Amino acid sequence: MDLKTYILRRIILMIFVVWGVLTLTFIISHMIPADPIGAILGPQAPPELVEKIRHEWGLDKPLYQQYIDYIINFLKGDLGKSIRTNKPVSYDLMKFFPATIELATFSLIIAIIIGIPIGIISGVKKDTMIDHISRLFALSGVSTPVFWLGLVLLYIFYYMLGILPGPGRLDSSISAPPRITGLLLIDSLVTGRFDAFTNALLHLVMPSFVLGFYSAASIARITRASLLEVLSKDYIRTARSKGLKERIVIFRHALRNALIPTVTVIGLTYGSLLEGAVLTETIFAWPGLGRYSSQACLYMDFMAVMGSVLLIALIYSIANLIVDIAYAFLDPRIRYG
Amino acid sequence: MRKEYLIGVIVVVLIVIAAGAYYYYTLPKPTEEETTAPPPTDVETLIIAMDTSDAVSMDPARAYEFSSCFVINQIYDKLVDFELPDLSTVKPEIAESWEYSENGTVWIFHIRHGIKFANGDPLTADAVVYSLRRVIQLGQTASWVLTQFVSSPDQIQKVDDYTVKIVLDKPVAPSFFLTTLTFTTTAIVNPNVVEAHAKNGDMGSEWMTDHSAGSGPFILEKWERESEIVLVANPNYWKEGLPKVKKIIVKHVPEPTDQLLLISKGDVDVATGLTPDQIAQLKGREDIKIVSTPRQHIVYLGMNVKVEPLGNEKVRLAIKYAIDYDGIIKMLKGSAMKWQTIIPYTVPGALNSTPFSKDVEKAKQLLAEAGYPNGFEITLTTPPVYPYADIASKIKADLEEIGIQVKIVQMTAAEMYEKYRKQGLEIVLAGWGCDYPDPDNNAKAFGDYRVHQLAWRNCWYDDHAADLAEAAGLEFDTKKRLEMYKELQEYILYHGPYAVLYQEVAQEAVRSWVKNYLPDPSFFLQDLSKVYKEIPSKASTGCILPLNYILSSLTVFIIANVALLYVAEYLRRASYHLVN
Repeated sequence: MDLKTYILRRIILMIFVVWGVLTLTFIISHMIPADPIGAILGPQAPPELVEKIRHEWGLDKPLYQQYIDYIINFLKGDLGKSIRTNKPVSYDLMKFFPATIELATFSLIIAIIIGIPIGIISGVKKDTMIDHISRLFALSGVSTPVFWLGLVLLYIFYYMLGILPGPGRLDSSISAPPRITGLLLIDSLVTGRFDAFTNALLHLVMPSFVLGFYSAASIARITRASLLEVLSKDYIRTARSKGLKERIVIFRHALRNALIPTVTVIGLTYGSLLEGAVLTETIFAWPGLGRYSSQACLYMDFMAVMGSVLLIALIYSIANLIVDIAYAFLDPRIRYG
Repeated sequence: MRKEYLIGVIVVVLIVIAAGAYYYYTLPKPTEEETTAPPPTDVETLIIAMDTSDAVSMDPARAYEFSSCFVINQIYDKLVDFELPDLSTVKPEIAESWEYSENGTVWIFHIRHGIKFANGDPLTADAVVYSLRRVIQLGQTASWVLTQFVSSPDQIQKVDDYTVKIVLDKPVAPSFFLTTLTFTTTAIVNPNVVEAHAKNGDMGSEWMTDHSAGSGPFILEKWERESEIVLVANPNYWKEGLPKVKKIIVKHVPEPTDQLLLISKGDVDVATGLTPDQIAQLKGREDIKIVSTPRQHIVYLGMNVKVEPLGNEKVRLAIKYAIDYDGIIKMLKGSAMKWQTIIPYTVPGALNSTPFSKDVEKAKQLLAEAGYPNGFEITLTTPPVYPYADIASKIKADLEEIGIQVKIVQMTAAEMYEKYRKQGLEIVLAGWGCDYPDPDNNAKAFGDYRVHQLAWRNCWYDDHAADLAEAAGLEFDTKKRLEMYKELQEYILYHGPYAVLYQEVAQEAVRSWVKNYLPDPSFFLQDLSKVYKEIPSKASTGCILPLNYILSSLTVFIIANVALLYVAEYLRRASYHLVN
């Protein structure tokens, strides 16, 4: 079986994964004894009105009927309408997802920039002071609560020093560029709005550092562990005994093999960053998928919950697939078949 | 290697010290002008930090939440309105005058001439008839505010271009009907614009979710959910010289600490969602004022009469005497005031009577008289949010002092209200806000089980209270009417299934350069058209990038570079050592 067949098989499997996720989410969200209409209408609403609106949204139908309707609409490409926003869920996702893509991408870049060098340094200088310090740094990354770090950074860099902008994606004084992709950086570049570009970039610094710092820890740890493993291999000893420079031994012989597990972690990290980070998004008033889906859950907005979960499931499946394919390029020994 | 390491460290430390010293000496020293610095934001733009997560729609026929009603009141006009802070006299707005028939069922409203919608269309009786009928036809969330008087769209008729006739189902107190017309549901929309965007018979409701078609002081420019709501001044606004600012940005800031940072720095002009602790922190600052007002929102304990032994009036009274009201209010640090009747302070007819305070002996005695000298077990349900969860723990402790064992159950509002509506809770800790500042609103909810609200949810089928609430709603003589409400409140205070714990107090932080900003006791009466920002007289606009901004960034840049270089050099040497 060649790579193409492999990918095809994986995509077919993905359909089942998505279907399974949909069904499970449907069952869980509809089994919870909570009332989305009541949540939207608030405590004051008279019961007749609650019933009327419930009927309008088709929530009084039997559960299996709602499920069948949902699947049929889903196959037609219709994710339903959000009870809360009164807009098609697909429209909402298109609106919220770009903010998350931007944040996730920058966070991942920061995570790689911090994580991989730390992993290499502490791997190469195993059990020295520098190893301990880098591991401590990485450890503090996972163990620092993001809301705390976020607020401290805001306090120092926004409030005290004033060198970075406050919460949000853009300053209030800067009008957003016309929406093309929803990615502010790209939209502002395409339309030549350099003021918006710099501002959006500056706004990205703190939230992506917070998320990146957090993700860097796992990347650093896995890089260190696998580098140590590779460094003890026979071919490294051979390379060293040939009299190769240590730099070449590490970067050309060891690192390429050591990075394979790191790629998996990076791929999955990107997947989880893309599902949105509720706490970071809340602290930085970031209008991303995390805020959208958490609000949807709080209001029991079924369609929006299912739409978000579906998107996340897709992202994970695709991230996994890409990771697996990347293996083939990184490691010549891996062949799919 | 150790030596090189040391030298490196010393070099870095020296550079940091040198840069720091240089930075310190070049810092511009504070001068007189700087203490009266102008707002960092545009003076023509008012920026408000608010948690707008609750907003569902900007369609007046649908909106029923705090932040959406707040915005709708800026973009639409209503027939009549209140002018803060006065909540007792209804003032003309679109309708310049009105009259009603002897039995109060036929109302005639005379529409003001010369009002234009934001797009220039004249506002006539047609628009009023269309808007009010639309509310009834769409039958959305807040439609009941109108349909409780007018059940069919045909009861709203145009008499001529500037006269509208509304026929009510049955006679009601005139002040009651007029007061409900101040709620945003009855906002007047432009039929031409709305109909142009209608699809599938929704009367434009989907489009209206994030667009405006009104005649109010502002126009909804855009609503980016979870980000910001932008309003711009309506050039065709009919009130001379208003609005005073050109733009309002309602910035969505869900995190209170962020709001604190933003207002402290002056990047927002108003912060609406600060915690009591944060308010205390800002008190005493010259550049920030704290404005506060009692909100028309009470927090109460509801006791389900169907659940034994809560059906026993003495048991309920014992609970009312067991609670440490003052302790709860102290706990809430200024965001609550003592209030025990069901109609909140500032609503006409509210009875200021606070007979209950913690009296363990009396409570125990009442419990013994009721036949429960050793107490009983009961469940208290509340949403897991501040301050309810904290209050629940306090009440648990209070009730345990008289022998009542309380089990606290926390559930999300969505889940709790589902159960509450089905009379499925034992004791509930919840809040209740007025939809309009008329006593009828709370009197019926708490007193009249026939309207299926709180009295019904707590299974309190008391015909005396229900009849009284109903009769007061029909009383024409305002003075007599308010007396009836006082009687009802007194009755519910001792016999009803509620222990009203306190009334909320709204506290907002406002920059001193903002003028005319009044806190709103309700959630839909805020009028921002008269609010403006004043530039301090000695203001200098200054350069866009202040010197200390450049210097501090430069310092950080240098430090980072030196550190990076050092690390790189160290790595190079380290690898060299490894090889050898």
